[in-house]
Amino acid sequence: MADLMTAPPTEPQTGAVPPPPARKKTQAKRANRLWSLLALPGTVWMTLFFVSALLLLIALSFGTSDALGNPHFGTSLANLKALTDPAYVRVAMRSLLYALLTAVLCLLIAYPVAYAIALHGGKYKNALIAAIVVPFFANYLVRMYGWSVVLSDDGPILRLGRALGLSPNVHIQNTGFGVILGLVYGFIVFMVLPLYAAMERMDVSLIEAGRDLYGGPLRTFLTVTVPATRQGALAGLVLVFLPATGDFVSAQLMGGPNQIMIGSLIQDKVLDALNAPLGAALTMILLVVLLIGMLGYLRRTRRDELDVLR
Amino acid sequence: MGLSRRAILSGGMLGAAAMVTSACAFAPAKASTVKPSASDTQPPVKPVIDGDLVYFNWADYVDPSIFDGFKKQYGVNIIQSNFDSMESMVAKMNAGNAYDLIFPSAKFTQKLAQAGKLHRIDHSTLTNADAIFSNYTYFDNPWYDVQSQHSIPFSMYKTGIGWRRDKLGDLTGSWGDMWNATAKGRTYVLDDRDEALGMAALRLGLDVNTAKADDLSKIVNLLTDLRSDLRAFDSDDYDNLLNGNAWLTQAWSGDMTTVIGEAKNPKQYGFEVAKEGSPINSDCYAIPSSARHPGTALLFIDYMLKPENVIKNINYIGYPMPVKGTEDAYASLVESLPQCVVTVDDLSKDLVFRNGTVAQEQARDAAWTDVQAG
Repeated sequence: MADLMTAPPTEPQTGAVPPPPARKKTQAKRANRLWSLLALPGTVWMTLFFVSALLLLIALSFGTSDALGNPHFGTSLANLKALTDPAYVRVAMRSLLYALLTAVLCLLIAYPVAYAIALHGGKYKNALIAAIVVPFFANYLVRMYGWSVVLSDDGPILRLGRALGLSPNVHIQNTGFGVILGLVYGFIVFMVLPLYAAMERMDVSLIEAGRDLYGGPLRTFLTVTVPATRQGALAGLVLVFLPATGDFVSAQLMGGPNQIMIGSLIQDKVLDALNAPLGAALTMILLVVLLIGMLGYLRRTRRDELDVLR
Repeated sequence: MGLSRRAILSGGMLGAAAMVTSACAFAPAKASTVKPSASDTQPPVKPVIDGDLVYFNWADYVDPSIFDGFKKQYGVNIIQSNFDSMESMVAKMNAGNAYDLIFPSAKFTQKLAQAGKLHRIDHSTLTNADAIFSNYTYFDNPWYDVQSQHSIPFSMYKTGIGWRRDKLGDLTGSWGDMWNATAKGRTYVLDDRDEALGMAALRLGLDVNTAKADDLSKIVNLLTDLRSDLRAFDSDDYDNLLNGNAWLTQAWSGDMTTVIGEAKNPKQYGFEVAKEGSPINSDCYAIPSSARHPGTALLFIDYMLKPENVIKNINYIGYPMPVKGTEDAYASLVESLPQCVVTVDDLSKDLVFRNGTVAQEQARDAAWTDVQAG
C-alpha cells in the first residue's frame, strides 16, 4: 500500500505533451518495454498470491466444512443461502454506514491538516508529514488496545471528564462513537497523504489569481482549491472507506453488542465456528459490494482524465 | 506504459480486498479421510523418554516451576507454544504441526478421538493415575471418550454468575439474575456460542444442546430481550469484573479464582451457580497421533499428576482438578466463593455441551449470529 500513498493523485499530463518527433519513437518504445519488464515481478507476485487466493476464496464459498473444521471444495449453495439471514444484511449496512462516516470524518479532519502542512509547512513540511506517518508504523492492534485502555470507564479521559462534571453514565467504550473513533484513528493517514500530495502539486498562483480577480477567501477556496484537490479527496475517501468496511478490530475492542461489523462476523465464522466456507461466502459478497463502489470511482476518475485531455 | 493513477488504485482495491480477506486463516483443504480408529490399531504409548517435549496449551495454564522440575529430572527440554482457542489449536494440527501434548476441552477431545487424531493411553502405565480413576469414577467412562482411552482429565470448571456484592447485594441463585435491573448497562454475557445459548436454554427449561428451530428461536428471542441490558458479549470475565466495567457477568468458576486472587477487596465479589443448572466442562491431557515424542509426553502427564504438582497447579491457575487428596487445597483457595468447587455429584449431572452433527452445529451458529447481530 505504500506506493499508493505517494501516488500523485493529479498527474495526467501525458496527453498534454506535443507528439514526439518520429525519431524519438523507437526510444519511447524501448522505454515502454523497460517499464513492462519492471512491472513483471509485481504482476507475478499479485497473480500468485492475490488473485489465486481470491479465486480460492470464491471456490471455497461453494464448499463445505467437516466436524474438525477442514474446508472441502464443493458445489453447495448452502453458504450463499445462509447469507440471506437478515442479520447479515443489518450488520453489513451498519459496516457500510460506519465506514462512510469514518471516511467523511477523516476528510473533515485531514483536509485542514494537509492544507496547513502543504501550503504553510515551509521547511518543516517533511518533518510534519513524518510526524503523522511514523506512529502508524506501530501495529494497528497494539494502538487499538492502547485506545481501549485510555477510553475505558476508569481510564484517564473519562476520569478527567467526571472531575470536570461529566455524567458518570457517559461511556466511550462499547458505543458506536467509540468504534468510529477507532476507525478514524486507524485509517486517517490514508486520507492525509493523498490530500497532501494533491495540495503540494496545486499551483498556488491560482489562489493568488482568484484573489486578484476579487474572489473572497471562501469563494476562492470553493472555486479554486476544492476542484484542484478533489482528486486527492476522492482517492482518500476510497482508501479509507474500503479497509474500514472490513475492519473488525475497532468493533471488537471499542464496540458493544450493537456495534459488531461484518468483519467481526467473517472472523467469527472462520475462527470460532470452524466454517471457513461460510466466511468465504460472506467475504465474497462484501467484495462484490465494494467492487461496485470501486467501479463507480474508477469511471469517475476516467471521466476526469478525459476532461483534462480535452 | 506509465503507471496511471487508475492502475495504482486498482491495485489498492486488491490491497483492500486482501485486508478484508486477511481475516480468514486457511486450513489446508486436504480431504481428511476419516478413519475413526486409525490410531486405535497402534499399541498404547509407552512412558519412556523419546526426545524433547513439544507442548501446546493455553498460555499460563501450568505452573512454570513444574516445567523446571521435569526438565531437571529427565534431562529433556520443553518446547512450548500456546493457542488462544480450541479452534485455533485444531487448525494448527490440521495444518500439519506435530505436538506431543495438547490440552483439549471435553468436546474437542471427542472430536479428535473420533477422527483418529489421538494416541491411546493405557492408564495402568501411569503411576499417579489411580488418584483420578479410583476416586472420580465419572472419568472411568466419560461421555466424550469411551473409558478415557485417549485422554486423562486435567481440570474442571462450571459456568455461573459473577457479580459485585457491594453494588448489587445478594442475588437469587437463578439465571434470571442476568436481568438484574440495577446492573443494567453493566451486564456481560460470555462471548461464547454454547455458553450464551446454553444459559438461555436453561432459563427456558430447554436442552442446552438443542438445535431444533423452535427452541433456537425462543432462545434467540430471550437473548435479544437481554441485549438491551448488556454492555457487551465478552469472555474476558475477570478483567471486566476487576476493572469495574462489569457489575454482573456470566462467568467461569476458574476465572473467579483469579478475581479474588487479584482484587484489592475480594469480599466484594460473589459467584453463584443457577438452580436451573450450571453447565460443566473439563479439559484433558491428550497425545496427538502425529506426536514425535509420545513417550516423553506420557511421562510429563504422570509428572503433572504427582499430588504435590497438582496442588501447585491448582494454586497457580485456580481450577480444581479431579485428583484425590487435592480437594482441600482447592476449597481453601475459594473459601469466599464456595460455589466454585466442582464435586463428583456436579459431574454426574452431565450437563455438558456436546458435539452435534455438522447441520446441528450450523443451526446453532446461525442462531448465535442472530443473537450477536441483534
